[in-house]
Amino acid sequence: MIDQSAVLLFITVALASAVEATEALTIILASGITRGWRSTFEGALLALACLAVIVGVAGTALILYVPLYALRIVVGTLLLIFGLQWLTKAILRQTGFKAPHDERDIYDKEVATLSTGKKGILQGQRDSLAFAISFKGVLLEGMEVVMIVISFGLANGSQDQLGTAALAALVAVAVMTAIGAVVAKPLTKVPENYMKLGVGNLLTVFGLFWMGEGVGVQWPLGDVFLLILLAIIFLATLGLIAYFKRVHESQTEVKP
Amino acid sequence: MPSNKTLNAVWKGVKSFFTFWKDFLVGDSPVLALGVIVILCVAYLLRGSAVLAPISTIILVLVLITFAVWQKTRARCPKPTINTNKEAKTRA
Repeated sequence: MIDQSAVLLFITVALASAVEATEALTIILASGITRGWRSTFEGALLALACLAVIVGVAGTALILYVPLYALRIVVGTLLLIFGLQWLTKAILRQTGFKAPHDERDIYDKEVATLSTGKKGILQGQRDSLAFAISFKGVLLEGMEVVMIVISFGLANGSQDQLGTAALAALVAVAVMTAIGAVVAKPLTKVPENYMKLGVGNLLTVFGLFWMGEGVGVQWPLGDVFLLILLAIIFLATLGLIAYFKRVHESQTEVKP
Repeated sequence: MPSNKTLNAVWKGVKSFFTFWKDFLVGDSPVLALGVIVILCVAYLLRGSAVLAPISTIILVLVLITFAVWQKTRARCPKPTINTNKEAKTRA
């Protein structure tokens, strides 16, 4: 029988990774198209290698040497902070208080920045700007995925779950990269804002659940309570969106 | 003895390391990070109660997210303009 929480875990990590991969892809495309692909790919690959080492070394070491309750407290606290940050931003975007995340706009800004940089690179040599931008972009976007993968992987103290979380992230990144390679332009059609709303909900739920378990809170019904928590947080999110949308409309209403 | 230049470089590195993690974990919403720590403490204090602990932590999370959104919407809403005498005269 498939474990419900494992399925939820896979979906959450895959969705979070897909969102971050879309953002990293925009930076890679802008750098590759403006400055050339070789240095851009080198920067991105080095960043991916660094992220894989962090997951492998930090994840395994933490499982082996840190007690499960302590892991759950740290992991739950981090996930709850991340989840609430994602959720707050998603609610602000849905209600109009914050501009929606626009990959086209970000792409244009990156291209403008990269075009002004002096190329001055002889053929066959590394373009340090393209390398740095690509490395930094992938590392920073990937760091959040790494934290999520490690957190989800460690929550039950087994390396199997770390493997599942890493696999979910890899699948999502591979899918987004394949789409990006085919389309060869920023993935503006990806419903990033809705995905962030969903991921924010899931991270909040898992964070609260594991943080509670870590300090000794007895959740009724065990793992099934995750679904009840998800329903509560989701309904509350919908309520907040509806309320703050009205607030925004009343503030922007043109009075005669 | 390491030179001043080396010490400065080390200090700069340490500073950027902590700045990175502060930005990464706290971001632009310190209230969320603080709120989560408060929820953690409340959950720890009430862990013995099978009813009170789950209910209070859930309620606190809902309060925290509502407060964080409300705070951000207040920061983003335009301030009302004061109709000073000078402005009134200009319009007239």
